[in-house]
Formats: sequence, structure tokens, C-alpha cells
Amino acid sequence: MANNNTPVKTDKKEEIKKDNQKAEAKTDAKAEKAADDEEIDSEELFKRRVSIDMTTENSWFSASAGGLISLKIINAEGVEEFFERVVLRRSFPVTAPDEFISVREPDTRLKGRGAEIGMIRNINNFDKATVDLLNAELELRYFTPEIKKITSAKEKFGYNYWEAETTAGSVSLVLNNPFGNIRKLEDGRIFISDMDGNCFIIPDPTKLDRQSYKVIEIYI
Amino acid sequence: MKLMYDLPEVDKAALEAAASGEKTMYVIPFNIVEDKFVNGWTCVTDKRIYCILDGKVLNSFDLAKCTVFSTEVLYGNCAFYAVIDGITTLICRFLSGRNLPRYSVLVQVCESLAEKCRQKENPGEPVVNNEAERFCPTCGRPFIAGSKICPFCRDTKEVYMKLWGLTKGLRLMLFFPLFVSAISLIIQFVLPLIQKIAVNDYLTNESIRPVSSLADPNLRAFVLIFMAIIAIDLVSRILGVLQSRVSAISGNKFTLMMRTLLYEKISTLSISSISRKSTGDLMGRITGDVNVVQAFVTGQLPSIFSQGASFIFALIFLLILNPVMSLFVFVPIPLVVYLVAKFWSIMQNRNVKNWVLAHHVNLFLQDVLNGIRVVKAFGNEEREIATFHKRTDRSAEYSEENAKLFDTVFPILGFAVRLGSYLILFYGNYLLFTGDMNYGDLHQFNSYANIIYGPLLWITFIPRQISAFLTSLGKVLEILEEEPEVSDIGLPIDISIEGDVSIRNVTFGYDSYNPVLEHINFEVKKGEMIGIVGHSGCGKTTLINLLMRLYDVTEGEILIDGVNIKDISQNALRSQIGVVLQETHLFSGSIRDNIKYAKPHATDEEVVNAAKMANAHDFIVNLPEGYNTMVGEKGYSLSGGERQRVAIARALIHDPKILILDEATAALDTETEKLIQDAINKLSKDRTCFAIAHRLSTLRNADRLIVLDKGHLAESGTHQELLDLKGFYWRLVMAQRQDSGMLTQTAAAKEAGDAARKQKVLAKKNG
Repeated sequence: MANNNTPVKTDKKEEIKKDNQKAEAKTDAKAEKAADDEEIDSEELFKRRVSIDMTTENSWFSASAGGLISLKIINAEGVEEFFERVVLRRSFPVTAPDEFISVREPDTRLKGRGAEIGMIRNINNFDKATVDLLNAELELRYFTPEIKKITSAKEKFGYNYWEAETTAGSVSLVLNNPFGNIRKLEDGRIFISDMDGNCFIIPDPTKLDRQSYKVIEIYI
Repeated sequence: MKLMYDLPEVDKAALEAAASGEKTMYVIPFNIVEDKFVNGWTCVTDKRIYCILDGKVLNSFDLAKCTVFSTEVLYGNCAFYAVIDGITTLICRFLSGRNLPRYSVLVQVCESLAEKCRQKENPGEPVVNNEAERFCPTCGRPFIAGSKICPFCRDTKEVYMKLWGLTKGLRLMLFFPLFVSAISLIIQFVLPLIQKIAVNDYLTNESIRPVSSLADPNLRAFVLIFMAIIAIDLVSRILGVLQSRVSAISGNKFTLMMRTLLYEKISTLSISSISRKSTGDLMGRITGDVNVVQAFVTGQLPSIFSQGASFIFALIFLLILNPVMSLFVFVPIPLVVYLVAKFWSIMQNRNVKNWVLAHHVNLFLQDVLNGIRVVKAFGNEEREIATFHKRTDRSAEYSEENAKLFDTVFPILGFAVRLGSYLILFYGNYLLFTGDMNYGDLHQFNSYANIIYGPLLWITFIPRQISAFLTSLGKVLEILEEEPEVSDIGLPIDISIEGDVSIRNVTFGYDSYNPVLEHINFEVKKGEMIGIVGHSGCGKTTLINLLMRLYDVTEGEILIDGVNIKDISQNALRSQIGVVLQETHLFSGSIRDNIKYAKPHATDEEVVNAAKMANAHDFIVNLPEGYNTMVGEKGYSLSGGERQRVAIARALIHDPKILILDEATAALDTETEKLIQDAINKLSKDRTCFAIAHRLSTLRNADRLIVLDKGHLAESGTHQELLDLKGFYWRLVMAQRQDSGMLTQTAAAKEAGDAARKQKVLAKKNG
């Protein structure tokens, strides 16, 4: 698969043909044996990593030197493997943030999407140190500050401009379509995404001060 | 796009202290540290990367040790990483929308910079990125997509000037209401005056009685006054009729003009900007927003003038007539205006919410009715009925509450508004008794006092209406002001296409920092059939879009017969390219109309020939109404394969020299596909043909295959050549054979050469 990313132009075709001829000459004798192997051969090509069910018995997380997460596992075949960096993804970031955490190889430009190494059924099954480590990483990845107060709300030409106090400091939000940007979740929390791609949450809108509540009232 | 920000003084000092003797190449902001928003700066010098926050260097990294740089889109933020000594390291985190494009450029420039550091080469000058900034330089808030307009900083005056520009040709009609309202205003104030004369000089004047005969000058004068009152009323009514008629005409014309302008604009905009907005949104702008703007321009604008003037006049008259009594008008006014404004604002909010609830019911209905097959298939009718009940109940309850509230509060408010009049009546009558005022004056005063309430109440509505109007106007102008991304050059060439296509070093991304296709090179001879294959998302359809010039390439060029397609007029280009897409859209109308769509003046003979070529003729003549069968939204529903073949006939009728089939046969059964295959084979004679297909068997007749992988040209060649290559294409073929369980069959039917090829892979594996 070395040719995957190199454009093959017409002038290269000669080379390839020569290559093939060489290969044919060299391997004629083995031809018969190979015919039986075809199935296994192509199966191996499409082999995928087997995702493991992660427990304290088979997975050991640690902080990497680069401020990220490293992982050692005993994989499905019972072989020990080490990953310099893994990526955590919540399967249900809204409804079950602590459960079904997918631990994956990072996506890269060359290889594309990373494979799932394993799944953490519930993060609290791990020891305290690991839970803290994983939670810290998850909170970085799912960065949703809570809005505590909306200090100002202006509307101009259909765009809504808010100034708000959040747990991460004060921010300016721009909403171009408040009816789409503001979503009421099933459990009553309010989820807000703005034009910049920021995400915010209001855990309980009724606990906001009157002024702030009035701003979001009509959208929920 | 700005890659070199000006650092604040403290941060600048920190950078200078830490990086003395280094050349600062790039400075861009980062926004998040731990769980807090910050204003930090990522500074790249020719040797190191520094993260600076509040006058301190948080971190610094040696460029020479950094290898792979990358960005990752997280949730609500993004991260910038580098691999340092083989360990992936987080450099900083930043806000997605604002800085992702910047960091994506930084990834590229840092990689080359790091390489130069290792080679001890001269770093050169900082790269300048020409992509347009998406944020307002003054306030930092985002621009309207595809424009350089910041709604926040935008000058309202400028918007009104734009609107003024739009009223061209209608101005006379728009001014007519002003003229009429000036006249009605005068009448409004003259009428009480005449009435006063009638009352004071004649009705309550005892000295002129008894009137002896009809010839009495007093009676004649009174009749004259009486006639004047009637005449004035008549004139004002006629003017009213005239005004309504003119308003209706100008309003209609204005709407028509705006709609046409918008529709024209939307049609000329490039696909990229249209696809950013939903059909519903665009429809809303063409119908709803235009209506709001029109209603304001032809309705509210003239009343701003008349209401304002009548308020001022009434105020002056009242003060002149009786300053003390005027106080009785003004005492309750603040309270009344406040109450009314408050009530309307509550009602408005409630109405919006009511609308939202009703809208949700509509959305639910649309959703469920569209998916009614699924509902029935899963036997979920009961549950959906329950959900529907819940939603309609809520909507109904809320609107009931609204109606109750309105019907209770509105009469009370009406009473409050009259409060001033009662006071006037009370005080006025007192003055009548004491003889300080006569009856006519009281009547006149009362009339003016009633006039003044009109503008005052009107003012409580107007801010809301102005805001709604500006919102709608903003949405309309947003489209009118957008620049088409793809446009013809000054003097485009109308060539007649032969069919040679060459794609030269083409790089393209829907966002320039995120290329979908990179350095694509290939040549196509006239009459060749080219198959384009690859995994989904590898850029196949994008390549086709570029060929049709729905988008312009970022780098490189596409030549047709040696002419750059940017120099060919879009009209000439597209009229000579035939396209069949996976999702065939047939317009409402007959099959004949649909086939003729690409060539409106085609004869029936041409229609039949095209249909025959597309293997569609047989099924069409078997329809009860033949070529006249109505299809589309309300018509006869054709099967997927039939629609596909009609679409092919449509693509063929204008005899295109280049034919594009984008997954044209993806959803069809093998037999129909065979029919269409035959059709395509017929077509592709002496036409250059590009075909995209997932099912590789569809492309078995292709002269050449282009294999794309993650935006790169992975392989190209004939089917056999690519199989021999045992590369990417071979893998695809193997995967599909496995899928269809045909592996064993094909293996049995293998030629001798195949065995040897397998051997090669084995040899490779063994080293």
C-alpha cells in the first residue's frame, strides 16, 4: 500500500508493469499454494482492531509527557500494547457523560480516523486517580462553561448579541438564529451554541436572575 | 487572514525578554487555558513557539524538535498539538469558529519552519494568507456569512440609504401618502375649529334667535358651515380612498420588485453560498421578510410623519387653548403609555412563544407525516398520537391563556386611556358652570385631546415594528449584498466544446484552509469514459463540481480544449455539459417538459430520440398519457430507475460534449442498472464522460479509472492495470467481491495470470 498517496502518472505505468513482471517471474513456483491463501490474505487486509471492554484489569491510563493521556492495555489477543496518546470520546455527552467512554487512537491526516481501542462502561469503575485524570481530559474536550448571568442582550438586524458571565469568565455570544441556537434538553437544562462554535449550558434556567431569565424565556 | 497580531505592551515585553535575537514570524491568539477563557498569544519565532499570557511566557517549545503539527476540533473548542521528540504535546487551545482557519494555516507554516530549523536554513519571510477575515475588525464579532458586513457595527443610516436605493421608480408613489396625510392632518385640525364656530356662534348663541326666515343671513351662514363640515369629511374620505389605492399599488410593486431582485440574486449566487442556507430560510426571506419590509415602507413610514406632526400640532393647540386644562391631559399620559407599552411587550412575548409552540406542532406533523411509513412499520402509531396530543394540547392551552389575558386586560387599558378625557370633561364642565369657558371651546379642546392619544399609543408599538423591520431588512440585504463567489470574467469566451479536459495541479477546499482535493493532475482525451472511484468523502463529487465550475479551484487550473474554464462563460460551459445526479429532481410538469428542460425549443422528435438513447422510451409510451404524463410533486410517481432514465434523457437532449454521471445508478437494481448501463454506453460514444460510482461493476466499460483517496489521486489506469497494480483499487474490488459473496466464484474463474499476482502480495509480505 506504499503507493497510496503518490499520484501515479502515465510515465510511471511502465515501471509498474516491469515490477509486476519481475514479481511474476520470481514467484511462479509458489503460484499454486497462493491460490488457496487468497481468502485469508484478503481477510487480513481488512482486519480491524478488536475493541476491548476496559477495566482496571486490562487498561492502565497515565498522564503523558505532552499533557495528554497515555495508555497501556492487554489487547483482545492477550498482548500488551502501549499508546503514547489516546483520545477519549463520550458516547452520550448530553445524557450520560460518565458512561460509554470510547477510548480511541487519535485521528491523523495520513491515516484518517483512529480506531477504537476500547470502551469504558462507566468511568467510576476505575480508581480515583484514573477517574480524575480522565475527567480532567474529558472536561477539556467537552468545554461547556455554565452561564451564570446574561448581562446584556441586544438585537441588531436579526443577530442577537449577548454579554454573559460564565464559569469560565465573561464572554460575548453572537446568535444568528436563537430558535436554533438555544435548545432545551430533556432534563430541563438549556444548551446554547453560538456562531463561534462555543457551547454553553444553563443547568437550571429558573435559578437565573430575572433579567437573564427574561432574555432566554421566549426561546424555551 | 491576519497571522500577525499586535501584541499588548506587557506581552510584547515578555516575548522580547524571552526571545531576544529571534525573529517573530506569527502571532495569533489562543483563548482557553484549563477551564477559563483568556486572551493569550501563540507566538512563533524563527526558533521557538511561545505561549504568552498576561505578560508571562506559559510555555515554549523548540521548533527544531517539533515534527508533526496538528489541530483537533474538540467540543466547544479546538486544540493545537505538536509532536515533540516523538511525544504529542498540547500547545494551546482556542475557539473554533474564530481561530481554526488561522491555526490550520499555522500547522502548515510551522511544519515548513521546523524543517528549515533542522536544516539550519534561512526561515524566509512570514507567509501571508489572503483569505478574507470573517470577523469585524472594529468589534471582533462575526460578519454575516459571505460578506464583509458586521450587523453590530453597521450604520443604520447606511441601511436606510440602501433601502432608499431600492425604492427607485416607486418614490413618487411612496410620497403620495405623505402628501395625503399632510392634507388629512390639516383637516383634522380645521374640523374642530369649524365645529367650535358652529357651536359658539350659532348653536349656543341666544342673541341670533329666533331665526325669522330662511333668508336670515345667520341661518345661511350656519348652513354654509354645515356644508363645509360635510365637504371636509367627503374630501378626507376621497383622499383616504386614493391613498389606499396608491398604497396598494406601490406596496404590490415594491414587493414584486424586491422578490424578483431576491430571486434573481439567489439564482446567480454560487452553490456554496446557497447551500449554507436552508430552502425554508430562503423561502422565508423571499416571502415573509419582504412582506414585513414592504408593510413598513408603505404603511408605517408615512405614519411616522403624520403621527409625529399631529402630536406636535395637538400639543401646541392644547397649550394655546388652555394651559391649565392641558395638564389634565398630561397627568395620566405617562401612566397610560407605560401600561400600554408594558402590556404590549408582554403580549408580544407571549405571542412569539405561542407561535413557537404552534410551529413545533407543524414541524412534528411534517416530520411524522414524512416518515409515516416508518411509524407504521414499527407499529408506533399510538405513541405518535400521544406525542401529537401532548404538543397540540400545550399549544392550545397557551393560546387559550393568551386570549383570556388579552380579553381581560385590553378593556381595562381602554378605560385607562379614557381616564384623561374624564378629567377634562370634569374640569371643563366646572369651567362651563363658572362661565370661564364656553361650550364650543370645550368641544374643540376635547377633540384635540383625543387626537394626541393616537400618536402616543402608536409610539408604544413602533420600536417593536422598527426592530422587526430592521431584522427583515437585514435578512433581505444580506442576500442582495452577497457577492457571487464564482463569476464570469470581463469578456468570457463562448466556445463550442470538443471534449478534451485537463486537470492541472488542482487543489480545492470549501474552506481554503481545509483542502478536499490536493494536487490533482490528469488529462482526458475527447470521447474517453473516465470512472472516478474512491471511498465516500474522498472528493469525487467535489471534483465534478469543479468541472462544472460550481466552485472555483483554489489552486491550479482546469482546461477544456486548452481553455481555462474561468475564461469560458458559465452559460456556454454548463449548456454543453450534461449532468445526471444521484438524486434526480424532476420538476412538476409532463415528462416531455422535463426532458426538454435542457433545451426548451427541442422538437418532439428530439425528445423521443433522447428518451430512446436513455432507454426510457419504452416505459414512457407504456404510461397512459405517454410523454404527456405529469410527474413531479403532484404527478404520477415514477420509480427510481424510471426517474433516473428521464434524467439521463434530459442530460442528453442538448447533445452535450461532456457528460457527467454522479452516482447515477447507485440506488437501482441490477436489471435496471443494466438498462442504464446500456444507455450510458450508447451515450459515451464520442462524448467525454465522467462517471462516479460506488458499485465498481458500473464502471467496467470505462476507458480509464481515476482512484481518489483522501483528496489525492491515488492511482489511475484501466481496470486491468489497476488490478495488476494490487493497490488501492484492488482493495476496493476485493472488498466489494467479499461483500457480495462472489469471492469464491470469481476465484474459480480466475485466469492463470491472477494467481501470479496473488503471489506477488505474498512475496511482499514475506519481505
